[in-house]
Amino acid sequence: MNSVWDTEQMARRIARRNKAERRFRLLGLGAIVLSLSFLVLLLVIMLKNGLGGLDWEFLTGSDSTDASTAGIWGALKGSLLTMAVTLALSFPLGVLSAIYLEEFAPKNRWIDLVEVSINNLAAVPSIIFGLLGLAVFINTFGLPRSAPLVGGLTLALMTMPVIVISGRNAIKAVPPSIRDAALAVGASPVQTVFHHVLPLALPGILTGTIIGMARALGETAPLLMIGMRAFIATPPDGITDPASVLPMQIFLWSDEIDRAFVQNTSAAIIVLLVFLLAMNGLAIYLRNKFEVRW
Amino acid sequence: MTDTPKMSARNVDVYYGAKQAIDDVSIDIDTGHVTAFIGPSGCGKSTFLRSLNRMNDTIPIARVTGEIDLDGEDISRMDPVQLRARVGMVFQKPNPFPKSIYENVAYGPRIHGVAAGKAEMDEIVEKSLSRAGLWEEVRDRLSDAGTALSGGQQQRLCIARAIAVSPEVILMDEPCSALDPIATARIEELIDELKERYAIVIVTHSMQQAARVSQKTAFFHLGKMVEYGDTSDLFTNPQQERTKDYITGRYG
Amino acid sequence: MTFVLILLVALGLVGWFVARGRARLMYTGRGSLAATPNYHGWHMALWTIVPALAAWGVWLSIEPGLIENAVLQDPAAAQLPESPMERATVLGEARNLANNPDAGFFNPLSVQLAEPMREAQTRYDIYGAIVVLLFGFIGGAYAYTRIKAAFPARTRVERGVMLVLLVASLVAILTTFGIVASLVYETGLFFAEVSPIDFLLGTHWSPANATGPDMGDSFGAIPLFWGTLYIGAVIAMIVAIPLGLMSAIYLTQYADLRVRKWLKPALEILAGVPTVVYGYFAALTVAPMIRDLAASAGYQNPSTESALAAGLVMGVMIIPFVSSMADDSIAAVPQSMRDGSLAMGATQSETIKKVLIPAALPGIVAGVMLAISRAIGETMIVVMAAGAAANLSVDPLESMTTVTYQIVQLLTGDQEFDSAKTLSAFALGLVLFVVTLILNIIALRVVKRFREAYE
Ligand SMILES: Nc1ncnc2c1ncn2[C@@H]1O[C@H](COP(=O)(O)OP(=O)(O)O)[C@@H](O)[C@H]1O
Ligand SMILES: [Mg+2]
Repeated sequence: MNSVWDTEQMARRIARRNKAERRFRLLGLGAIVLSLSFLVLLLVIMLKNGLGGLDWEFLTGSDSTDASTAGIWGALKGSLLTMAVTLALSFPLGVLSAIYLEEFAPKNRWIDLVEVSINNLAAVPSIIFGLLGLAVFINTFGLPRSAPLVGGLTLALMTMPVIVISGRNAIKAVPPSIRDAALAVGASPVQTVFHHVLPLALPGILTGTIIGMARALGETAPLLMIGMRAFIATPPDGITDPASVLPMQIFLWSDEIDRAFVQNTSAAIIVLLVFLLAMNGLAIYLRNKFEVRW
Repeated sequence: MTDTPKMSARNVDVYYGAKQAIDDVSIDIDTGHVTAFIGPSGCGKSTFLRSLNRMNDTIPIARVTGEIDLDGEDISRMDPVQLRARVGMVFQKPNPFPKSIYENVAYGPRIHGVAAGKAEMDEIVEKSLSRAGLWEEVRDRLSDAGTALSGGQQQRLCIARAIAVSPEVILMDEPCSALDPIATARIEELIDELKERYAIVIVTHSMQQAARVSQKTAFFHLGKMVEYGDTSDLFTNPQQERTKDYITGRYG
Repeated sequence: MTFVLILLVALGLVGWFVARGRARLMYTGRGSLAATPNYHGWHMALWTIVPALAAWGVWLSIEPGLIENAVLQDPAAAQLPESPMERATVLGEARNLANNPDAGFFNPLSVQLAEPMREAQTRYDIYGAIVVLLFGFIGGAYAYTRIKAAFPARTRVERGVMLVLLVASLVAILTTFGIVASLVYETGLFFAEVSPIDFLLGTHWSPANATGPDMGDSFGAIPLFWGTLYIGAVIAMIVAIPLGLMSAIYLTQYADLRVRKWLKPALEILAGVPTVVYGYFAALTVAPMIRDLAASAGYQNPSTESALAAGLVMGVMIIPFVSSMADDSIAAVPQSMRDGSLAMGATQSETIKKVLIPAALPGIVAGVMLAISRAIGETMIVVMAAGAAANLSVDPLESMTTVTYQIVQLLTGDQEFDSAKTLSAFALGLVLFVVTLILNIIALRVVKRFREAYE
């Protein structure tokens, strides 16, 4: 028998260590609970303040100086137009670059530069994209200020790296055996990629795209830079009309002195969160439904 | 003291979820000699070994039934901290912590609080490294990373780490399978020296190794312990048909 | 222009069918065609669309110049002010009015110019459409003449596809280049007026009253850098590191699989909430709460906007970020380390604190660097909750301002183009870009090296 372990002192020490173990575990649980309770608090406050203002008039109206008649349709339409531009640009560009980088790119310094660019663009603060949009699209190309066209362009540059990165991961996940099989029956490399690899990678690419779009939908800062903060009383008709977007409307209303706008702001936040939740839900659904484990 | 074996297992079953990996195993293990577990891979040697220091507790789906005693005391009622300090373990792949050689060995004594001060800790570290046959090679570079050693040295470091808390039993799960023949021979020598002080259980898939280092051998097959006896008897005169098939190389 | 695009697509489609049909007629049996008719279709479609699109792109970039020239021919243009900046403002207003008669304007001259502007726009749009369609026709016609039995349409099409792929991936470089070029250019203009030393080392920031020769004294950005770091790298991290790390530890080491499956996505929702929502939450709830707490603690006149409120909420936003980076790093530590420690009789928490965290430390540190880079670039929370006062203070209850806040401030309000005030926003942007870039590059290196160490 090993006497060290039989002493009173050692028994106390073990008891103390076990207590520390329980304490540490509780601390971990506490950290999660505390983090999530922030989320719950935020949601509860927004629901409490905003739910009362969510009615048909609010959903179909446009901005107004009078809180009771102001609505979000104008901003929502601006958001939709902006997102349409963003998607139309970032999706094809993102997918095509992902294909090139993953399947065809030679190993050389230029390609390294592209990869470094993409990884860094994904982490550049969004406001910097706003500065780019202002300097290039508006001041240099003379595109109209406050328009969904410029907003969409700016957000597309921001979203593209996200799509490229997720697209590359999805393409990488397609096993080489599929490529070998296609090449072995005489398909050209381009045919192999477009007929076999891309369809298999598509769910993953779409998931990444939706997540990127959700992020773009919630962005405010870059759009502030390109002037999408104008007071827009009539919904925009096209991508070159002055427009606002939903997050911007939230920002503008939050600045109003009139307390009545608190309800509007919170209600607009609820609408925005519902959209984001739906998009993320769709992404998760797609991932679970189509994800293939090789 | 002479009557109760160091460790004894009675009717042990181990399940992974619904799958049974060990079926009704009973065995006694004593100090002063080396016990080898042999058998084809997947037969449950590691699983059974890990039941002896309750490492299976760390696998959520694993469930152990039956009784295992250490010095006559049921280990399922012991504190795992204490049990694992008394029953040390060496793994298949050397797994030194990403710390210095000194800190690797001092880790156990430190968490268990068995060293009174720096001087005593130094002494424990030196003694453990000497017993593991590593002291001469590392005495001048105790602050180097443990991971910078060669594979064989790393494994001896892991053995030193295990003996630093003065265990009574040392469990080794294929400790040489990742090593070259020279490093293997070095570890086998070491096991031979250590058996005087500790009860040693070694899992091996090499029958030659079992024959070289062990005095007792247990043959496992499909989760059952088929045969257990003196190593020399088991290899020269197996009682069971399946043991004979295995040691003559019919499968494995 | 939308019309031209539709027409172009239609043209491509027609080309596709025409070429395919013609190639089919040439089919006389197995092996008689070098490529399938579909590829002849693609070949022609590409030749129709790509040159036309390229022409369109070129046209778009020269059209504004042409329009402006045309407008300047108008008699009313003679009254345009001399300064190029003011000219641009008036022309911009005129352009807005031309697109949208309800748009606001400051200079009545722009109303006079709106009509010629609209007229010129229509004219050049029509010219543009003609040019674009011409290119489409020429390209298509060329491809049509190439339809022969022996023509390797597939290889040609594939070569074209590769070119398109290559061009798409160059957009990323172009964007990076665009960011760097525009920031550096405008910053250069700014430094022509204000010395970089005044800007980077000065401690007084009040661009609103910046005039005259010692304008540099009003552009000392140190208080902004300080506020940015204090809010983003200190307060936010004090919240995010412990909560994120402990959450990751609980999720990876303690929670069983079912709980983890629910808690992890729940935590990630925190990262998906738009920052404008956090900003509103900070301004509406957190900041007043902190103010009231400070007041009841005997604090004199606490302000509603405080570094603490902004930093706190920003920290919450960053929690899932830190947590997932820590989660990845801890998961990358081999299971054998954990087993080794547990087999020594260490408790789970001892194993985590003494083995897993030290082993995962490089990854965790890199994660924190990325988190800081994200926090200092965050805009809306500070715009809505941190305040405008450029204070050099360590009191978290005081209002502080940040780089991003000032960029927004300088570029929204009533704009004077090209003033030092506007340009300074780009200089701030450049500093922000460089700092986040460095943080990201170092962090990505560390992560990569760390991953390789355990592979
Ligand atoms: N963590 C685990 N989860 C589920 N099944 C396991 C686990 N570990 C081992 N098993 C199963 O238990 C059986 C015995 O495994 P093991 O004890 O590792 O065998 P041996 O060490 O003799 O090769 C095998 O069939 C193996 O698949
Ligand atoms: Mg095994």
